[in-house]
Amino acid sequence: MMTHLEKELSKLKQSILEMMDLAKFQLKKSEEAFINSDFKLAKEITRNEKRMNAMELSIDLDCENILALFQPVATDLRFVISMLKINSDLERIGDYADGIADYVLEMDEAISSDAINATEVGEMFHITLSMLTDISTALNDEDTSLARKVYKKDAELNSLNSMASQTIRKFIKKDPDATRSLLFLFSVIRKLERVGDHIKNIAENAVFYIEAEIMKHKKLQKDPNKKEK
Amino acid sequence: MNNRRKNRIADKAFQVWGIACTFIGLVLLVIFIGDILIDGLGRLSWDFITALPSRRPESAGIWTAMMGTAWVLVFTTIISFPLGVAAGIYLEEYAKKSHLANLLEINISNLAGVPSIIYGLLGLEIFVRVMNLGPSVLAGSLTLSLLILPIVIVATRESIKAVPGSIKEASFALGATKWQTIRNQVLPASFGGILTGVILALSRAIGETAPLIVIGALAYVPFAPKSPMDEFSVLPIQIFNWVSRPQQGFITNAAAAIIILLLITLVMNGIAVYFRNRWQKKMKW
Amino acid sequence: MIALMELKEEGYKKNDHESRSFKLEASHVDVWYGQFHALKNVSMGMTANHVTALIGPSGCGKSTFLRLFNRMNDYIDEFRMEGEIRLDGFKIYGKKIEVEQLRKDVGMVFQKPNPFPKSIFENVAYGLKIQGITNKKFISEKVETALKQSDLWGEVKDNLKKSALALSGGQQQRVCIARTLAVEPSVILMDEPTSSLDPISTARIEELIFQLKEKYTIVIVTHNMQQAGRVSDNTAFFYLGELVEHGKTKQIFTNPKHERTENYISGRFG
Repeated sequence: MMTHLEKELSKLKQSILEMMDLAKFQLKKSEEAFINSDFKLAKEITRNEKRMNAMELSIDLDCENILALFQPVATDLRFVISMLKINSDLERIGDYADGIADYVLEMDEAISSDAINATEVGEMFHITLSMLTDISTALNDEDTSLARKVYKKDAELNSLNSMASQTIRKFIKKDPDATRSLLFLFSVIRKLERVGDHIKNIAENAVFYIEAEIMKHKKLQKDPNKKEK
Repeated sequence: MNNRRKNRIADKAFQVWGIACTFIGLVLLVIFIGDILIDGLGRLSWDFITALPSRRPESAGIWTAMMGTAWVLVFTTIISFPLGVAAGIYLEEYAKKSHLANLLEINISNLAGVPSIIYGLLGLEIFVRVMNLGPSVLAGSLTLSLLILPIVIVATRESIKAVPGSIKEASFALGATKWQTIRNQVLPASFGGILTGVILALSRAIGETAPLIVIGALAYVPFAPKSPMDEFSVLPIQIFNWVSRPQQGFITNAAAAIIILLLITLVMNGIAVYFRNRWQKKMKW
Repeated sequence: MIALMELKEEGYKKNDHESRSFKLEASHVDVWYGQFHALKNVSMGMTANHVTALIGPSGCGKSTFLRLFNRMNDYIDEFRMEGEIRLDGFKIYGKKIEVEQLRKDVGMVFQKPNPFPKSIFENVAYGLKIQGITNKKFISEKVETALKQSDLWGEVKDNLKKSALALSGGQQQRVCIARTLAVEPSVILMDEPTSSLDPISTARIEELIFQLKEKYTIVIVTHNMQQAGRVSDNTAFFYLGELVEHGKTKQIFTNPKHERTENYISGRFG
């Protein structure tokens, strides 16, 4: 039977997972909206953004209350701190999805499908979405080896991002009239790279609270499998 | 160095002095009891216990005195126990804390120190003469009850005081009335202490000689009492009577009777101690 | 003498809900012990099925305030009160009130566990027996229920005849809680119930309080602020006889309105 504190922590985790689902939903819709220039979808994303902001505030408040009322220690304390940080990362991811939606609303012409294919922006969307799915599973199951895989995946995004920069430049040279839409594409790619960064942070925080291991600013570790969890 | 040595010498000196004092008391007691035992042990027999007093020491016995003691003991208990305990409960639980109550408390404690012969005079006037009970078992019991009443009251009050207030609080908090609390919690918890006090008071009562002599308990009684209105004698008086006779045989008788009296006192005290131990084990505050 | 229960029934027929919005309510209450002004113009209400914690430094009046609700202050000489105390909207200080009835509805658990020097069974059954209940089966069932509710049944069910004094401190306190629950009150007052217990027993009783609030209204005095945080829905902070602040525990612990409250809670004084 769960204690009072355990119930509160469990509720907090559920809230974060919900927010994560919402972030993933926003990102998926933003992909659809962008590829298909779907205005209606973009507007829906903007509406949902308010919901995400409200959830962020509510989760912040929950964390504050748990710290004030229960003074948790050890794993519980690391958990609350991690959730606080993950909360902020998720909100930023939501912001980026909303940013992509804003571009959709501002775009007045379609982006060349050649450019889209060449920059592999579709692949970037796919990677970030799968990273989100995986980190959600990792968090739910407290699976640190999966979290570490997600952490590593970000490298792929970074390399795609740097190649995309070259590619966009080529396309602008070829077709200067399409510069505005190509720049939009560039921004979206940039945003996706940022989303990847934030998911990487989430992975770090997950490993931190489960194993008290700090992956940040270190070389990637092999799976240690040392803690009981 | 000198101080340390002085201290140690002082310490040892006190130890020796303490042991000496203790031993003097013990040694005297042993001598006294030993002397009695030497004198009287031989005389003890079933005949001695069941025989009636007689002018001839060899055929004299303590039957009437013992029966008298027994009757007086029973009636004193019947009178003093409920009266004393009830008074103790009232004074401790119901009487308001006022100047009057304080006055009462001091006076009751003082009463316990009044010489027993005064009680005898009181009993003579009131019970024997005014109430016309004559020198009977009842008069004697009433007199002795008066004597030990302050002791019983004080013992009751002390036992009740020893019950922690938290127990009473808990009882009140559950919705019990004052009397329910006293009946169900305070009295059962203090009962062992009260019983001990009563038994000790009674064992003092059976050793009382002066008040009973004053009210007219006879030294020479050829029969055991058959009703509370009968005349009577008690063991201490019988001993007193025998000791004042010149014949050596009566001295022996007296010694034997003293042994019996001591035995009774010992047994009563033993019972009191037993009850107190059992009670203290139960009430592990 | 009109019993509290009858008064309540009459009231239910006449009044509607307006006077019953709080389960317990104090209006402009002042308390004196002789010349000492222990509580100063305290007004507050406590909601049903919530846990309210009363906190504050020693001598601030929180225990005095707690004991107003089952009239245990009546036993203290020179106790004097002005103002109104209401239970379910009805005044509980008044010539017509039967205090014994009140205490069956408002139970109390004390700081130092005070089980009677009797068996566990006798302890828990006491409250029922003094009401005149003699049905053995009924009493047995109530005792079992109460011991289950106070999370003690598993440990003692095989030997209810054992003396309650032979139990550990934490178990004794749970016997005292069971004893109070057996009478089926609607309010439980707790006066620093865990301050004489070890941390594990304390944690167990805190969990118990959290479960009990579903059925009971609980008011708990505690000098341990963290306990107030863990256990209560609402908190009232007392200082030198005054009610300084009263609100949701979450709000008081994250953003108190008064500086004094903040100082006390963060341990800067008291």
